[in-house]
Amino acid sequence: MTATGLLLAALLVLVVVTAGITAVARTLPTTLVAFAVYSLGLAMVWVVFRAPDVALTEAAVGAGVTTALFLMLLRRTGAREAPQPTAPTRRVRPVSVVLSAAVTLGLLATVPSLPAVGAADTPVFGPVSEFYLVDSADRGIDNVVTAVLVVYRGFDTFGEIAVVFAAAVAVLAVLGREVVL
Amino acid sequence: MSRHPDSPVVVATVRVLSLFILTFALFTLFHGTSSVGGGFQGGVVAAAVVVTLAFAFGVDDTARWLSTGRLLALAVAAPVVFVVVALAGVATGGAFLQFDHLPIPKPSVYATEAVELGIGATVGAVIVVLFVNLAAPATGGERP
Repeated sequence: MTATGLLLAALLVLVVVTAGITAVARTLPTTLVAFAVYSLGLAMVWVVFRAPDVALTEAAVGAGVTTALFLMLLRRTGAREAPQPTAPTRRVRPVSVVLSAAVTLGLLATVPSLPAVGAADTPVFGPVSEFYLVDSADRGIDNVVTAVLVVYRGFDTFGEIAVVFAAAVAVLAVLGREVVL
Repeated sequence: MSRHPDSPVVVATVRVLSLFILTFALFTLFHGTSSVGGGFQGGVVAAAVVVTLAFAFGVDDTARWLSTGRLLALAVAAPVVFVVVALAGVATGGAFLQFDHLPIPKPSVYATEAVELGIGATVGAVIVVLFVNLAAPATGGERP
């Protein structure tokens, strides 16, 4: 196994373990910290797969800002709650186990039909990506991800940024405020 | 967090780190066309500076340091810039969002850069607005 393979295996173990901890942790702060580590592990997986733009977004949004927002909400909602001496016992119903196992097996059954990493006959390597690579270099934009986002898929990005703006408007409307602070 | 704003370790760390984080955010923003990153990433990292400041110095103090008008102006930046750039394409004889016809050198690069800066401003401001408002007391009244 190559060094990259070992690193990837270690990162995937980290992701799976932290995902498990997120699901079974008894207190909410533990869940939040495990979820942040899970997100950071995913970001490192993206770096290994040479998708640094996605990795940067995942690390900043998933591990950073989302955790901060959750912690903030936890402080506001958990302060009035009396701490429980013991966590409530968990009962796992057999139906839940069977159902989740069935879904997991169903998803795993689709894995063999995925193309291999870097396979040349996938749609990704069609004439369109060839055009993007050549044309964005002609336009003087070295980062093809940025070129695709703004130059070729400008409508999509326009819609996305409208959604981001609408998020702030919606939160302010729900909270009944007319100013941003 | 706002009740314990004076942990010296956290305050010192944030004082030192925030400069570097903000520098990295601005680099990511302005360098989006030639290296990794762009508006979304740079905006989020810039907003993370405000979030870390809030963790060190308390949300209330941090919110008091922010300017309402400027935050509002930043939040609307991307929709406005996007519309302006898109209509500039129409005005110079191209299609909506077509950059080739703009009468400037390297039109695609600078149009993309303008849009990225607007996206960074909006994303950063929106995250700060969400953070400060969700952290505020649940009374629903306006902040002082």
